[in-house]
Amino acid sequence: MIFHPAIIALLLGSILISFMLLYSAFYGMQILKGWNIKSGSELQLSLERRTYLISTVMNYAIGFQLLSLFLFIYTADYLHTLFVGAMCAAGTLNVNHWGYPAIMMKVINFLLAGLWLILNYTDNRAYDYPLIKKKYGLLLFITPFIVGETFLQSAYFLSLKPAIITSCCGTLFSSETQGVTSGIIALPRPPIEAGFYSFMALTFVLGVVFYWNGKGGYLFSLTSIATFLVSVIALISFICLYFYELPTHHCPFCILQKEYRYVGYLIYITLLGGAVSGLGVGMIMPFKKINSLLNVIPSLQRKLTGLVLISYAIFLGTVFLQMIFSNLKL
Amino acid sequence: MIELQDIRKVFNTGRPNEFVALHGVSLSIDAAKVTVFKGPSGSGKTTLLSLVGCMARPTSGRIRLFDREITSLPERFLTEIRRKTFGFIFQHFNLIKGVTALENVMVPAYPDGENHASLKERALNLLGLFNLSHKAHSKVEWLSGGEAQRVTIARALVNNPSVVIADEPTAHLDTKLSKEFMEIMRRLNDEGKTVLIASHDPIIHESDIVHRVIEMRDGKIVTSGIAS
Repeated sequence: MIFHPAIIALLLGSILISFMLLYSAFYGMQILKGWNIKSGSELQLSLERRTYLISTVMNYAIGFQLLSLFLFIYTADYLHTLFVGAMCAAGTLNVNHWGYPAIMMKVINFLLAGLWLILNYTDNRAYDYPLIKKKYGLLLFITPFIVGETFLQSAYFLSLKPAIITSCCGTLFSSETQGVTSGIIALPRPPIEAGFYSFMALTFVLGVVFYWNGKGGYLFSLTSIATFLVSVIALISFICLYFYELPTHHCPFCILQKEYRYVGYLIYITLLGGAVSGLGVGMIMPFKKINSLLNVIPSLQRKLTGLVLISYAIFLGTVFLQMIFSNLKL
Repeated sequence: MIELQDIRKVFNTGRPNEFVALHGVSLSIDAAKVTVFKGPSGSGKTTLLSLVGCMARPTSGRIRLFDREITSLPERFLTEIRRKTFGFIFQHFNLIKGVTALENVMVPAYPDGENHASLKERALNLLGLFNLSHKAHSKVEWLSGGEAQRVTIARALVNNPSVVIADEPTAHLDTKLSKEFMEIMRRLNDEGKTVLIASHDPIIHESDIVHRVIEMRDGKIVTSGIAS
């Protein structure tokens, strides 16, 4: 293992979050089993008091979980100088078998954690805990993922040995290697470009319609998550080429470096923020008719829709600016 | 209408110093009436009033306030109810030392963000109602016991609550001031406010303005009857 403050922070943070989640999951099971708002029993009242505490604690824990993705990426990028052949986070993550599964798990957990925060926020706006069982059901669902992430991340950091020879991103993200990314890179550009612009346009149209009329929420939610996936594909396929000004460099990690003004962080924050907010719109849709949420959900959905539109607009604006001013013309 | 269903309150549950303050109290309190809880120290009067006033939560049981169940409410909703529905008069006054009587009266209304000038006018009117206009700008530590008590009442009324809760309000007052206090309670009741008082002072529970006296002992209701 390499002793670096960020690694220690990530390891301790993830272990702490896992313990908090396991503790909360324990009470989550009690809530799923024994919750009855109509009862005035001692158990019910103690669960009501405890859920308030757990919800507050989990807000902070899951908030750190969201931030930890970017700290993880930053750390992986920062450490690349220690490994022969690594040029960015892509090479650092490739030094052992745990790196890429760990980052994939962190992205999945980012989305799940974001959804839980939205569900928790919605439930806390109502006076009668209408989503309490769903909230703890989701927490129980998330727990193995977070614990799994702790395991993968720990295995990754504990197996890090300096001076390992690894592959650079130019090799990892090329059409000649085997894997999903090489498939993306090998795909012809026009259909991906058309798909990217079409999904973006559709998201904006559906978003504006939903924002003003409150109609088509599910479709907007699905489209926004599809746009996220298509955007990631487009980023690897052709968008990052404009940043690197190289027609063959498809690495999604180099844009996180100082050389590219850390623009990758802006790109990933806006894309992930848009995806979580878009998913959130659809997730709370079925609860619209609950009495205590009648006034809460429409206004929250509008805020989330606004977030999706702003996030994707910033992403799109960044991409367009780079396309216009890049020395590379495709 | 305030309804208590099988209310239990236990302090320090599971510890050697566990103390059961209320044993399954069920009770219905009429709105716009003056109800007095009497009983010796430790009988559960203050605990009961603090539960009704949303300042504490029961260990078990439910409380309904004007047909709304309040014990299960999350804290952010309770704060709202506490501020809008209840006015509290404490035994030890609990005035903030170092600031004026006027500021003390205005404090409970600050979280609502009301216009400062209109709030100040309202607070001055309340102080005027209790003949304290000339003391508005005096610091509370300079006030006599009776004056401090009246400032406390003015503070309890600043948010125009429908229920006034007073815990041993005459414990530090002489007979004359105690009777004066009850006259103020009569005025409030005439305006339609529900008044709940915990006291073992005979001046209170023998007062003709009281509609109902509930006697408590060891965390239980011993007798509950219409005042004579």
